[in-house]
Amino acid sequence: MTGLEIWLKQATRHLSRDSAAQVRTEIQEHYESAREDAISRGANVDDAERFAVAALGNAKAANCQYRSVLLTSAEARMLRDAKWEARAVCSRPWLKWLLLGMPLATLFAATSFFLASAIAVARVLLVGGIGMGVWLVVPFLPVYTPVRGRVFRFVKWVALIGMLGLAFGPLALHWSWLVLSCLWSLFWIEWTRVSIRRKLPVAEWPKALYL
Amino acid sequence: MNFKGTLPTLILEALLHEPNHGYRIAQQIKERSRGVLDFKEGTLYPALHKLENEGLVESYEGIEKGRPRRYYRITKNGRRTLSKDRAEWRELSRAVTIILGEG
Repeated sequence: MTGLEIWLKQATRHLSRDSAAQVRTEIQEHYESAREDAISRGANVDDAERFAVAALGNAKAANCQYRSVLLTSAEARMLRDAKWEARAVCSRPWLKWLLLGMPLATLFAATSFFLASAIAVARVLLVGGIGMGVWLVVPFLPVYTPVRGRVFRFVKWVALIGMLGLAFGPLALHWSWLVLSCLWSLFWIEWTRVSIRRKLPVAEWPKALYL
Repeated sequence: MNFKGTLPTLILEALLHEPNHGYRIAQQIKERSRGVLDFKEGTLYPALHKLENEGLVESYEGIEKGRPRRYYRITKNGRRTLSKDRAEWRELSRAVTIILGEG
């Protein structure tokens, strides 16, 4: 394995396949130019190659910077999954109606139990209905501009906090450690989406990134 | 010399008059600073991608010596950002010079 290959292997660690290919192409172009320049200045081939790799600097530092501007493999996987989910829902009308109907049915049941004075059951159903509404219905809403996305995300977090308030009542703060530990995957998804939004131009955002 | 944080501005300045590819941008910065600003070239491309994501530069495929190369050119937003950065730098540099008693 040459010095350049070792450098590239470290610099492209955890990057998506497309990002890694992009890095390889641009660094190889750069390396070739540096090598040719060194040879034209009188260096022998071995020294020129060594000089060209040394000029690239620390591969780990470059990897760290690349990961902050190019898609990582985890982010690319999340985008793929989001596209697959959207395709799966669009190609099955019954699934679309099921996703739209479930939160409505739950909210209807919550109202019925509330009217029947079964407050505890109504509260649980209301929490479930809001949760399902936020996560199942929104893909069908016309949220496809950055401003609408920001408004929706604000509403989503308010709804989430409202849900937790309804579920735990006055004990919500006391149980916050439990809630946070249960919702870590949700926070991780949100954080990954923030990261992808910073890296991709708006024109390339799939629907899931607005949500 | 450590010039962390100023690399994006130096890249925009290097692209101000003509589009260029990564290697030439790196050489131009080194030559124009007379070798004082010697940075690791592997960090140039992440900075270029960041500028591209922010819409300050745009890239296109070009050919040099029969080889395909990715060229970068500054955008209108990039020019605006560069003139703002330049003004800020002049102010900062003037203030530091006064404090160090060399004004």
